[in-house]
Amino acid sequence: MKAAGYYKVKRIIINTLIHLFLITIALSCIFPLSWMISSSLKTQETVFKDMSLVPKELHFENYILAWKEGGFGRYFLNSIFYTLSVVIGIIIVASMAAYAFSRLRFPGRNLLFFMFMAAMMIPIPGSFVALYVLLNKLHLRNTPFGYILCMINVGLSMSIFLLKTFFDKLPRELEDAARIDGCSKFGIWWQIALPLSRPVLAVVVVFNALNVWNEYVLALIIFDNKNLMPLQRALMMFQGEFMTNYPLLMAGLTITALPIIIVYLFMQKYIVKGATSGALFG
Amino acid sequence: MSIRVRQSWRSLGLFLVSLTLVFIAYGCSPSSKKAKTTISVWHWMTDRDSVFQELAKRYEGLTGTRVSFELYAPSDTYSQKVRAAAQGANLPDLFGILGEKRDFSSFIKAGYILELTPYMEREEFKWKKSLFAKALGVNEFTEGNSYGIKPGIYGVPIDIITIQMLYNKDLFKQLGLNPDKPPLTFAEFLKIGEKIKAAGLQGLVSGWGEIWMIDCLANNYAFNIMGKDKVLATIKGEVPYTDPDWVKVLSLFKEMRDSGVLASGLVTMVNKNAEQLFANNKAAFAFNGSWCVNVYKGMNPGLAYAVMLPPAASRDYPMSIWGGAGSSFLVNARSKNKEAAVEFLKWLTSRDQQAYLSEATMNLPANKECLNKLPKILSQFAQAMELSTHPNTWDISESPQVIEAFDKGIQSIIIGEKTPQQIAQEVQRIKERQLSSLDHEIKIRPGKLYFYPSGNAHLCYFLSYTFYLGIPPRPLRMGRDTAY
Repeated sequence: MKAAGYYKVKRIIINTLIHLFLITIALSCIFPLSWMISSSLKTQETVFKDMSLVPKELHFENYILAWKEGGFGRYFLNSIFYTLSVVIGIIIVASMAAYAFSRLRFPGRNLLFFMFMAAMMIPIPGSFVALYVLLNKLHLRNTPFGYILCMINVGLSMSIFLLKTFFDKLPRELEDAARIDGCSKFGIWWQIALPLSRPVLAVVVVFNALNVWNEYVLALIIFDNKNLMPLQRALMMFQGEFMTNYPLLMAGLTITALPIIIVYLFMQKYIVKGATSGALFG
Repeated sequence: MSIRVRQSWRSLGLFLVSLTLVFIAYGCSPSSKKAKTTISVWHWMTDRDSVFQELAKRYEGLTGTRVSFELYAPSDTYSQKVRAAAQGANLPDLFGILGEKRDFSSFIKAGYILELTPYMEREEFKWKKSLFAKALGVNEFTEGNSYGIKPGIYGVPIDIITIQMLYNKDLFKQLGLNPDKPPLTFAEFLKIGEKIKAAGLQGLVSGWGEIWMIDCLANNYAFNIMGKDKVLATIKGEVPYTDPDWVKVLSLFKEMRDSGVLASGLVTMVNKNAEQLFANNKAAFAFNGSWCVNVYKGMNPGLAYAVMLPPAASRDYPMSIWGGAGSSFLVNARSKNKEAAVEFLKWLTSRDQQAYLSEATMNLPANKECLNKLPKILSQFAQAMELSTHPNTWDISESPQVIEAFDKGIQSIIIGEKTPQQIAQEVQRIKERQLSSLDHEIKIRPGKLYFYPSGNAHLCYFLSYTFYLGIPPRPLRMGRDTAY
């Protein structure tokens, strides 16, 4: 009886400590978001004077102002188009390439794979001038197609790596069964490998969607026409050389963050599954 | 299974075809109708974009020439865009370069920038005379400059900046000081430090975490203590940093620290935080540029403050401040619209446009004919323009390694880690190393634009040409500056 009480107290203490720890982590994650939302409802003056998270006066008009002044409408559509195109492009190319690296035997396979992996080591800013010159030569500079190709290229290495790791673990018996049923190589990829890789595809989708949604620097270098710019350009409108319009910037950031939070919430189940089933292996 | 596969093939094919059609539609959408002449301008000045757009409208109404201002912010990304565009020969008609004078000279050597001296000298130097000489100096190369550039003016300032000290009038009253009499000498300044310490207030705030602002104040005092010639002689390697005058400059920071006139945490403070502290009446002094007028207005419109020169530490030479052109535009020498671009620049820097630009953006105008229209605090900043200097006007520049060692050394003095003598010796050691390495550096070939990335760009450049296009890469172009 005494021992049961001891274990109960011990469990309560451990649970309390774990919960306290997790709550602290959660708060540290939520705090920047709440500060962003809170600042988006303040004025430029009160951002610096009123440090409370709930402002005395709520300025919802900041959202309308940010939307209008930043020109969010056009940039929103652009970003959605770029994100969808890039993510679809990456899924098609990366899944095919990963499947080929995992299942097909051809000369130079490992060398090619390591070359893709090596590309992950090259930071994007280091390749700006090279990309610019290349696109210029191909007459793809200042075109959405050129930008999309670059972004697909940026996301390929990581996606191929994730998918190949997953395909390597896939039982070959499943493919053998499909082959007996008359399935071609492409059919196996399309009918068997791809549907089974949904959890890892979710990870690939979220990682790359986040990457494209938040990308700005490459777009700025490639595009001359502001009408082709992604959403992040709207946010830059509120950041001056010496002065930042914090309320509008925070309102803009909230608007920008919403779609990606929604995507994450929808795919949360798959991401957790992907992570636990070894999608993030390595 | 085979029917399903065929269906899947068909749907994938259909999807790819529709995606291609969307790309084609998106990429080939008709461009807007262009006016007779369109001048394209690239800039990074977010806070001035709406005013530029308004001025462009006015200019089009006046002359029929369309001016297209394209904003690319933030400034560091803008710089990358300009460099990439120079490589691809896609520079606009008008643009700006952010960086040191050696970067500016690279663009001139590569033939991207038009010399504006003949335009400035027309009508008895009318255009040149209307602008602040010190602001023009930033865009000027004089006879015998160390960059090997033909003497002349290569850019036009559209506004100016001076960096000075500011003091809080309310806190001055609280400390029992006369708010209309700021300290004139360094000794007076240190005495106020004692009062600040006793009252438990914060003293001087500035963005000294971004070390260039330390360099700025240190150079102000170097000019005040030893004069411009000796400072330049040091850069040339003729005077060592261990000279007593340089040790004296470094010692001023120790004295400031000991007196309590510096705010706590100053060495890691970024300018945004410094501005916030000063605007919220929490610091008695600030060291900041003229752009702060707009910043403080946004943070605390009721702030009572005034501008003062950094208190002089010596009577031997006049006090100098950093200042000159804030932002400048350059004309693309390869543009077919270069004449129209020069005409537009002339109009943009004329009195009425400058007054409008200054009023709308609270920046100091480059045109001195409209100074009487400025608010009091801005005109205080402008009055010291004649005392201003800037490294970009010196025709010789100190190596980044020496500047870094000097500025970080001052940070070490402020936190009590090292003595001024130790820092002077360390800086001199680096200077000597730099001077000896000059003989071994890779020679810069004239007529080429130089890029100095981390090495990855070269690698990518090589890979992109070799593996994607099958064309051998051009020779790698190297130089000694890490900024490019």
